[in-house]
Amino acid sequence: MKYLPLIWAALRRKPARTLLTCFSIVTAFFLFGALQGINVGIAQIMRLTSESHLVVMSRVTMMAPMPLAHAAQILSVPGVTAVSPINILLGNYQRPNNPIVIVGTDFDALMKIGTNLQVAPEQVAAMRRTRDGIIVGVMAAKRNGWKVGDRIPIHSLNTTKTDGTSDWVFDIVGTYTLQQPDWATQIYANYDFINQAVIAGKNQSIEFYVGLSDMAKSAAIAQAIDDRFANSPDQTTTANEKDFLESILRQIGDINFLVNGVVVAVLFTLLFLTSNTIAQSVRERTSELAVLKTVGFTDAGVQWLVLAEALFLSLVSAAIGVALASRVLPWLTSGPALSAQGIGTMHVPGLVYAVGAALAVLVALVSGVPPAVRARRLNIVTALSGR
Amino acid sequence: MAAVVSLQNVVKSYTRGRQRVEVLHSLNLEVQSGEFLGLMGPSGSGKTTLLNLIGGLDKPDEGQITVAGERLDQLSGSQMAAWRARHVGFVFQFYNLLPVLSAERNVEVPLLLTKLSRAQRKANVAAALALVGLSDRASHKPTELSGGQQQRVAIARALIADPTLLVCDEPTGDLDRESAEEILQLLTILNQKQGKTIIMVTHDPRAAAYATRLLHMDKGTLARDETRTAA
Repeated sequence: MKYLPLIWAALRRKPARTLLTCFSIVTAFFLFGALQGINVGIAQIMRLTSESHLVVMSRVTMMAPMPLAHAAQILSVPGVTAVSPINILLGNYQRPNNPIVIVGTDFDALMKIGTNLQVAPEQVAAMRRTRDGIIVGVMAAKRNGWKVGDRIPIHSLNTTKTDGTSDWVFDIVGTYTLQQPDWATQIYANYDFINQAVIAGKNQSIEFYVGLSDMAKSAAIAQAIDDRFANSPDQTTTANEKDFLESILRQIGDINFLVNGVVVAVLFTLLFLTSNTIAQSVRERTSELAVLKTVGFTDAGVQWLVLAEALFLSLVSAAIGVALASRVLPWLTSGPALSAQGIGTMHVPGLVYAVGAALAVLVALVSGVPPAVRARRLNIVTALSGR
Repeated sequence: MAAVVSLQNVVKSYTRGRQRVEVLHSLNLEVQSGEFLGLMGPSGSGKTTLLNLIGGLDKPDEGQITVAGERLDQLSGSQMAAWRARHVGFVFQFYNLLPVLSAERNVEVPLLLTKLSRAQRKANVAAALALVGLSDRASHKPTELSGGQQQRVAIARALIADPTLLVCDEPTGDLDRESAEEILQLLTILNQKQGKTIIMVTHDPRAAAYATRLLHMDKGTLARDETRTAA
């Protein structure tokens, strides 16, 4: 600690340069933290998707509607235990920039199908009794200040009711949570209530959730469902939810590879920048380092001072960068737009702090060792004579 | 008086380009404890080289150098650094203060190598700055001080570890007459009142007049050795 003033003095020698270097490292580690957080968030989405049920979608395109009559045919396929049709009501609550997505389901069937929703049995019963009832995720309730018993008005953007309006009122009859409550952001309504009230798109479903008696036979059952509609104008494609999501993500690319690629590129660039800064700083202080040796600092001592300077700059800046990411990422991902899509708040995982610290040390060592060795080898007489 | 510095048959040479130039030729010298030794001579005569050898900044090619009871020619690099911290205070022509540190932080630097507590270091720094008459400028940075004041800070830094020997390389070379006089009087006080052994390289005969012994060097040898009464 007693050498801290010397390290601090060296960094303050050219404040603008130190600040710019610090800013570069902060930016690099902010990106590192945020991208790793997103990576973990995507992994979390994958974890939340269930392999325990099938999703039936239109073969034409993902959101194309299929006839509700498919539900009965799907239920008749051997091995199928429950089917829930799905309709979607897009709208907003209280203000246009607070989007809401309400998923219409057969909630009883949904609970049998084996999703990850954790709902109290009496609230499931209340949902059964209440046509305009909704079960809301605990995060959605928290964000909007809702509680069980509230009646909430939703202005729909994609449906018009038979009375000519687009305004809906729902009764909150319960809340659900997940293993990670941050991700409980969706709202479930009764399919029948929405279906009967809309003018257009009646008796249609954009997806069917399908419960199975034996998931080991899921591939055969999925094939049987698709075969059932092979000669229908509304052909289907069936897979489990996880496979669906993976296929969508594959269309974007290998996200893990992309994220790590960006991080490696940023850190690699950072190495050049910090190496150059530290080397330049040491070159400018040749006579000062020689004076330190003159008053009794050993060669190794001066070497460690230069290394400590690189470590201090790198670790402090990296800590600021990751801390910034850990504040900004949740703020960015807790907005209503993502929340309405069922995407929960993303956080920078704890491991990133440890890996970030290790990377900061690596950056400091790679950029600091050459000038530190140069400082160690500095000949006092030569340096003081300016040769 | 005991010899605090003893050089026997010291040879030192440097390589310039492809040429090897012998700067000191089989030099013999003894400096007694408490002496104020002035080293004079034309440029290239070997004054600074001799000073560097005595101060433990460089090693001889041949011969023995004993300073404060230690054979410098036999010490390793780290031993030499530790020895310098204990026994030698350096004063340079261009002060060589660390520009971003305040006067007191500059003076404190050699004490960072000791086991003194922060409070003890602070007390010692205050005493050293008082000794050179700069107590009221302790928090100022070198750029906020005059040349004479900067040199006094450098002297305080040289004295802070209570060294056996003060080695001064043209300490008044960058100062005006008045400031130079103040620095030389300060060195005289340190020599006479505190018994510090001082070795000072100078080109200035008026500065040399403060020395109690004057060595004239020429072409790497001691040309003349005169003991005299200080001004």
